[in-house]
Amino acid sequence: MDVTVIAETSGDRLHPVTAQLVGAVVSIGGTPTVLCAGGMGAAEAASISGVAKVISVVGDCFGTFDGGAWAEALNAVTGGDVIIAAASSTGREIAATMAAMRGIPIIQDATNLAPGISVTRPIYSGKAIETSTVTTPCAITLRANAFDAAGGGGSAEVSTVNQSADVAVAVREAIAKASERLDVAEANIIISGGRGMGDPANFSYLNEIADIIGAAVGASRAAVDTWEEIPHDMQVGQTGKTVTPSLYIAVGISGAIQHLAGMRTSKYIVAINKDPDAPIFGVADYGIVATWEDALPALKVELGKL
Amino acid sequence: MGIAVLLKQVPDTTAKISVSGGRVDESAVNKWSMSPYDEYALESALQLKESGGGDLVAITCGPSRAAKMLTDAAAVGVDSLLHILVEDISGLDSTQVQSILAAAVAHSGSDIVFCGKQAADTNAGSTGPGVAHLMDASCVTMVSEVVSDGSSLTAMRASSDGNERVAVSAPCVFAFDKGIIELRRPNVRGIMMAKKKVAETLSPADLGVDISVSSVSIIGHNPPPQKPPGQKFEGADSVAAVVGKLRDEANVI
Amino acid sequence: MAYEALDFYDIDSLLTDEERMVRDMVRDWVDEKVIPNIEKACRDGVFPDEWRVDLGEMGILGAPLDGYGCPGLSYIAYGLICQELERGDSGVRSFASVQGSLAMYPIWDFGSEEQKNYYLPKMTTGEWIGCFGLTEPDYGSNPGDMITRAEDKGDHYLLNGAKMWITNGTTADLAVVWAKLDGVIRGFIVEKGDPGFTAPEMTGKHSLKASVTSELVFQDCIIPKDRMLPHVKGLKGPFSCLNNARYGISWGAVGAAQSCFSSAREYALSRIQFDHPIASFQLVQNKLAWMLREITKAQLLAYHLGKKKDDGTWIAEQISLAKMNNVDIALEIARMARDIHGANGILDEYPVMRHMANLESVKTYEGTHDIHNLILGRHITGIQAFTREP
Repeated sequence: MDVTVIAETSGDRLHPVTAQLVGAVVSIGGTPTVLCAGGMGAAEAASISGVAKVISVVGDCFGTFDGGAWAEALNAVTGGDVIIAAASSTGREIAATMAAMRGIPIIQDATNLAPGISVTRPIYSGKAIETSTVTTPCAITLRANAFDAAGGGGSAEVSTVNQSADVAVAVREAIAKASERLDVAEANIIISGGRGMGDPANFSYLNEIADIIGAAVGASRAAVDTWEEIPHDMQVGQTGKTVTPSLYIAVGISGAIQHLAGMRTSKYIVAINKDPDAPIFGVADYGIVATWEDALPALKVELGKL
Repeated sequence: MGIAVLLKQVPDTTAKISVSGGRVDESAVNKWSMSPYDEYALESALQLKESGGGDLVAITCGPSRAAKMLTDAAAVGVDSLLHILVEDISGLDSTQVQSILAAAVAHSGSDIVFCGKQAADTNAGSTGPGVAHLMDASCVTMVSEVVSDGSSLTAMRASSDGNERVAVSAPCVFAFDKGIIELRRPNVRGIMMAKKKVAETLSPADLGVDISVSSVSIIGHNPPPQKPPGQKFEGADSVAAVVGKLRDEANVI
Repeated sequence: MAYEALDFYDIDSLLTDEERMVRDMVRDWVDEKVIPNIEKACRDGVFPDEWRVDLGEMGILGAPLDGYGCPGLSYIAYGLICQELERGDSGVRSFASVQGSLAMYPIWDFGSEEQKNYYLPKMTTGEWIGCFGLTEPDYGSNPGDMITRAEDKGDHYLLNGAKMWITNGTTADLAVVWAKLDGVIRGFIVEKGDPGFTAPEMTGKHSLKASVTSELVFQDCIIPKDRMLPHVKGLKGPFSCLNNARYGISWGAVGAAQSCFSSAREYALSRIQFDHPIASFQLVQNKLAWMLREITKAQLLAYHLGKKKDDGTWIAEQISLAKMNNVDIALEIARMARDIHGANGILDEYPVMRHMANLESVKTYEGTHDIHNLILGRHITGIQAFTREP
């Protein structure tokens, strides 16, 4: 089964998820050909074990992102029974457009593949899991970190092809990300501090971590009531705000009932507290018994590596 | 300007999803709502219509209960409603959904399409780009805002370092992420007027689309795997291990 | 957890699509604008002006009135609006009740065409706020003996007296004031700025804190001749207004009770004591079941009364029953809910004690609980027991 893998890049480097795409293809008996849009990451892709060949596609259209143009150019360069891409925002768009161009079905955000092709993926924002079979030819995008990456040591052939397409989306202006704090009520990831932080100034450590992972910074009611520097709108668990983050990191929060409202509905809870008997460990998925002074710098380093 | 907004009715994001007999039990869903990203698309479409004139049609492909969502769209100012009636959309594959919607857009005569970046039930994101291709239109995704200066359209979309302003012309499709402004509230006047806006209801066959054979076959649904019991670690040295588990086990970063 | 309104006997299925859409519009607004801000408004003792603007924009002020730009909704819809507003806070619902039933309604029913055309369109948009001046410092349950009086001075009326416990008074642009002209109660529209009229705010309240409560003071207050409501005399005027407001309150009380029930249930399910959620204890379940029972009965009373209002077959005593019953059980439910919340129930982290304090006022205004009891007593026996007179 010939599979076209759309390489995922981060800046002009290959994104680690590409090795996971290759690993997934090999695991279902596919032969992966990696397409590198704009040639980015081609040499790195060639060193992934299991890759049959790498096609570096260069053309004017790859200067800025235009999903339609990129899909058109990539589509012209290879056939293949199956198209595989990462379920990132660009990966989804390119794969969906290529699939529409070929008149083939696409399934997005798969977390498991089996020969058939059987695809497993979360639905209803993860409240259920769907397994279905799809006929080939088809396109599938894969969720990051759900598949084992293929190893290194490969030495696939890299060929360069000139292929472009008309660009319909013209970039007029780049606007750097504003450093506004995400709102606690809407964030996907929240890192919250409690009275255990000792001093409101120490929330700066939480801010730093929040910046790395794009989280909102919250506070327990105790922190808000004790320190006027911690404003009321940071309070998690406020009546009426439905807070459903995927990840809630509670730092220096005891976990007594007054503080649990709202945060209870988080998908995953990580607790950092120096008191091994703190009630928060009863609801945490991952509890770390440590002082925040020790744990937060380590957390900053580890998250920075991702 | 002929603008269309594609809307999908999904279980409310607060609704409990239960699985019975290997399938999600839709009858147990207690609240159905407009998919959240579609709400941002709808608000932006209303603002574009108000600033530049033109007609706004709301289109949905779904079962009869989706008619209520179209009425809600009418209550906030959509001019006309188009309902492509398919009682069970779960078995349709992406090419079928896109064919239906592209044909519906063509039927409505619109050349600018707004939609959400992905629906809250499938979390897929294929519809915008797929419909754009079938319309031979350009596509911009991850959009937060669209404005018109009369002749061309400018969209704000996410980029790797923040945002960028891009220009496109019709025909085009804008797939919305969280927008700049929340969907407006209806008011009593809008609710009364919505009663008068009757949806045009068609079948896929009426649009010349054949949905008899799907390439996707659902084997089954399962509840999410039970989370493993809470794990407790000692000392700051365990942070690295926990971060790894968040990435690989929980899949949450 | 998103709010789920208790609806055990599925009143929802009896509603028209329009009524449901109106209810959902108000419900969403309360979730977005009131719930996140009410505790602060309560602590600060203010009614945020933004809410007046939002209520006007939604088009729900003067809900059941038609013509003159008014919404013309069914009484069921009006009831649903009150229910959802009071689920947020009784003070918010009081604002809407006063505006719609006590200030707009008398103009709509008893005013001249000129008065209707002049006042109603701006009141339904919330641009002008109205209030209702009936109660006096010494005349509450006995409004008939009021001492505020109007004198006909030829080219104007002269008003003297004072009203007390007037919602919206200080911020109102106009007041519908009931005063005796030659011993007969008439309605007069007094506008902010009329010479001799002041409306100081009453402070130090433990109840309805997010609501403006005022005195209206008339000291040789001069109002033009065209300000008297021509088409009503006697207590019939104010009582007609009160009937409409009381009807809305019977639904509003359900909303407050639903909010307390919802909070109590959620709390009982999450509070662990002796290794079990307190929702597993029999005494707690007994309380929750009682709440469900009373809320369901109250809903049915309010709904059926709404149908009678809509088809015109109601009598005032039916409104008395619903107001009295629904507010009484709502107050009991709020107290019981506070009890279930334990010590946490006294914090404004939870709505229950705020509802409890508010409902003390709601039980007292628009006819006290005891007065409504006597209204029913008179209806049953034909004998009035309000006073010692024969």
